[in-house]
Amino acid sequence: MIEIEKLKDYANKLMFDMNDEEYKTLQDEFEIILKQMDLIGKIPNIDKVSPMTFPFPNTDVSLREDEVGDYLTVSEVLENAKHQVNDQVKVPKVVNEDV
Amino acid sequence: MYRGKSIVELREELDSGKTTPEELFDKANKLAHEFQDEYNSFVTIIDKCKYKDRDTKLKGIPYALKDNFSTMGILTTASSNILKDYVPVYDATVYKKLKNAGAVLVGKTTLDELAMGGTGTTAHTGVVKNPWNKECMIGGSSAGSASAVALGIVPFSIGSDTGDSVRKPASNGGLVGFKPTYGRISRYGLFAFASSLDHVGIFTRNVRDCAIVTDILKGKDINDMVTINDDKKSYEQELEKVAVKGKKLFYMKEICGKDTYKDNKDDVLKKAIDDFHNTVEKLKKEGFVVEEVSFDKKLLEAIYPTYMCISCAEATSNNSNLTGIPFGPRGEGNSIEEIMFDARTKGFSELIKRRFVLGSYILQKENQEKLFLNAQRVRRMIVDKMNELFKEYDGMIAPCSGGPAEKFESTSEKLSDRYLILENHLAIGNFGGFPSITLPYTMINDMPVGINLTGRVREDSEVLCMAQAIENITGLKDIYSKVGDLDV
Repeated sequence: MIEIEKLKDYANKLMFDMNDEEYKTLQDEFEIILKQMDLIGKIPNIDKVSPMTFPFPNTDVSLREDEVGDYLTVSEVLENAKHQVNDQVKVPKVVNEDV
Repeated sequence: MYRGKSIVELREELDSGKTTPEELFDKANKLAHEFQDEYNSFVTIIDKCKYKDRDTKLKGIPYALKDNFSTMGILTTASSNILKDYVPVYDATVYKKLKNAGAVLVGKTTLDELAMGGTGTTAHTGVVKNPWNKECMIGGSSAGSASAVALGIVPFSIGSDTGDSVRKPASNGGLVGFKPTYGRISRYGLFAFASSLDHVGIFTRNVRDCAIVTDILKGKDINDMVTINDDKKSYEQELEKVAVKGKKLFYMKEICGKDTYKDNKDDVLKKAIDDFHNTVEKLKKEGFVVEEVSFDKKLLEAIYPTYMCISCAEATSNNSNLTGIPFGPRGEGNSIEEIMFDARTKGFSELIKRRFVLGSYILQKENQEKLFLNAQRVRRMIVDKMNELFKEYDGMIAPCSGGPAEKFESTSEKLSDRYLILENHLAIGNFGGFPSITLPYTMINDMPVGINLTGRVREDSEVLCMAQAIENITGLKDIYSKVGDLDV
């Protein structure tokens, strides 16, 4: 069984946390998931195949000319920012003064 | 009466002056509000009728849009707390095209949070219920888009499909659900889940309506680099031209062979398989050639884990912009890391976090080769084998599921063949970017079940033509749940 500490590490690397009960549920779920994942490893001669990252080769691509397109006004940019000052997004002070 | 009418029928009524776009909108709006408490199809219901006066088939036609498409000035939440107040400042190409075609937006629909889920139960605003039986799921992730069409609120809606998120709810709702070829419709402005698998999809109640909407949406878009060149066809007009006689279809023995489930005690499953084979016989009588083929069972069993590996890994990266800093509720803390950490901890639901942890696990250095890269290899093996079969056959058919929609409390045996193969094979369409359509083929216990047809890449028109022939055979066209007895 996968250790909860490891699951916590994976979550923290993605910058979030869960509570103890949620980690326990996840640990149980991993039991099944890992068995399902094992099915991938059962495919013979898999090492001879190159990984597929795209459904099919797309040749319908070409370079385009640079053209001025739509752009956002200052007020549009600020629309979703709750904290604003002087037409800018206000962010909390995060730099430690000792640095 | 408006409820349950198709695009074609509403177009005739609009063109003959029998009704107006404003009247249709009012009726759709009334239905949307009427059913909201019970079925939860919408995150946002629009209360003002707005449309452009354009000469297209969709002018004045009401529709609903999944809440993961950007709509300038209209709340777009992806059904997640982390985006609960987000109002986009630009339009998705799909929305822009529908706006420019004169279609009328009725509402933004509920989805499984961030489109990651197949149950319709994980939205920040609650569970979406199946209009055919509210004890059952409609499925997801495009849950609200499916239920809005299945309730007869709108004649069409837009969803997104990464594994089966349009085609499975379409099966559960008695609808046509179409995911065209990868890149046929631009995804610009669609919140990315797993970019190598994400498609735009369409819900309607008949195949002709589906062709009409696809005609409006398809085409190259410089804002989405994976879009393919337009094939310059009118799919609606092609429906009249393309003959299906002699078209060759196959089904996989391991998914739906006559004897595959002969020892299973589930009568519903047996009926779903029997009715599928009855449909196959009718297809043969109409001139289709239908043959059984055998596919490597190990590869089929690996579809679901392959899908999970690729989609969860891609999702962790695509959703890393959700920090609560440029948008979304701001977290608390003394450093930038603490602020983001707090925002993400509070903003994501448990299910999303579990998927992200899985993605993180798969991408750990020690697991990348064994899981992520091997999943991508399995993907290639499945797609290569499908393309081999498509050299001989024009399409693959299969039931979307082993029966009608599941009840909320039911739990599938997650390691069974039925779960791994029959319930999850639709992801093949995403692996290869194949055009893939679901439409109803039978009713079991007064609930619909869908058949799926998947064809060759870029042959969207042929897939629609064959689907229309299937629709003519099943006779299950323009069906919707008449629940509520609301004849507006």
